[in-house]
Amino acid sequence: MNKQKKPPIPISGVVYGEIIYWCTCISALVVIFGTIRSFLEVDSKIPVEYLLNAVFEGRSVESVWAGSALQKVPDALTYLAILSSGEAVTVAGISFGILSVGPAIFFSAAFMWRSKNEFFAVTALLSGTFAVVAPFVFFLI
Amino acid sequence: MMISKRLPELQLLIVCTISCYIFLELFVASAALDGLFGFTGVDIIFISFLLSFFVAIISVVAGVGGGVIFTPLMLAFTSVDTLIIRSTGLVVAMFSGLVASGPFMRKGLADIKLVFLGALPILVGGFVGSMAAVSLSQHLGETGDSIVRIALGLLLLAIALVFIVGGASTEYPEHGKRSKLADKLKLRHMYWEDTLQKPVKYNVHNVKVAVILLFVVGFTGGFFGLGGGWAVVPVLNLVMSVPLKVSAATSGVLLAMGNSAAIWPYINAGALIGVVAAPWMLGQIIGGIVGAHVLSGIKAAFVRKLLIAMLFLTSLKLLSRGIEGLFNISIPFI
Repeated sequence: MNKQKKPPIPISGVVYGEIIYWCTCISALVVIFGTIRSFLEVDSKIPVEYLLNAVFEGRSVESVWAGSALQKVPDALTYLAILSSGEAVTVAGISFGILSVGPAIFFSAAFMWRSKNEFFAVTALLSGTFAVVAPFVFFLI
Repeated sequence: MMISKRLPELQLLIVCTISCYIFLELFVASAALDGLFGFTGVDIIFISFLLSFFVAIISVVAGVGGGVIFTPLMLAFTSVDTLIIRSTGLVVAMFSGLVASGPFMRKGLADIKLVFLGALPILVGGFVGSMAAVSLSQHLGETGDSIVRIALGLLLLAIALVFIVGGASTEYPEHGKRSKLADKLKLRHMYWEDTLQKPVKYNVHNVKVAVILLFVVGFTGGFFGLGGGWAVVPVLNLVMSVPLKVSAATSGVLLAMGNSAAIWPYINAGALIGVVAAPWMLGQIIGGIVGAHVLSGIKAAFVRKLLIAMLFLTSLKLLSRGIEGLFNISIPFI
């Protein structure tokens, strides 16, 4: 029987996939730690039981946060100020996974350029820049 | 079991996650939540994790992203705030795709050129869509939520119809005329098809139309918190003539990328509640890895039939809840 050869796999894709894959695994470990911390901490500014009750009661986002010790909707700076709390660690873990997209695109773009796919290297650079800039847009508005 | 032996990191994640929930169940005194049948906070996050795990496997294999299952079900059947559901929906849609990106790229199932062709329109569309969602919710309140439910119900019906129209016959789409732009961009590729035990070649078509459609898909994905994979598969498969399995894998990678921008307006509005999103994220990661390895060995069209039935049922519930909220009436039997 004629055995067929497997086609080569583009290195730029593998680079992108590996960076995202491992960063996502790390972010999952941080999220697990944050979850445990949320349930163990006492006198938290964002108690986990309160959050779950408020969310499943159907309260609005503003009302959920207004009823917590924070008394306002948290932004990135609020989370940084209470980074030792379980909720902040959990959100930081999720954010790390999300933010890994930008650098992964940049590394992949470099390999795309080296493999003479200049057009896609440029579209990758533009996409990576947008992914990196998006979280900071709200500080500019 | 075989998958976890080949992937020690998956074993580590599973062990850490299960240990975390066992530890919390055994050693943390968690009070029962109001109106949730006596379940404690720990119970709720463990149940969420299990649901997310199964949603991830189904969604990766169907190439739709978990958001298209999670968001409509939660909007239809719970009273949780719509912004919180939609932000968690984006996390669900994103993380199965993020973690599946590795296996998809390693196996050559996802086409990196197609990913970077569609990345910018999806990123921009998703970001604009979620900005619009937050703005609508802040200005129209419960009326806005009812409008969102009705619009999503109609959208789900359309998605189900798209899946019915583009069924199993499009697994290896044929397209007679070659696209000049695709030729110029060298948009042709080859992947190894496990079920046929041979390489499959394909050429890409209708590049310009697809780029516009991907922006629209990104917008609706960000607005409803669905992600965008539900429509990326039809765009790649039906419009660009990409084989179904490559479409499913590429859409997984693309939607994860697109949602990475769409999530920020929700986070900035305080709609991402870490403790609610965490079990859904963990379930998506572990289920996503399992789903990505299962994908290369099965026919994706079969799973999509299950999805179509779920889309129809959920759309009925969403429409009824939206109409009830908007006109202050009660619709029986739904």
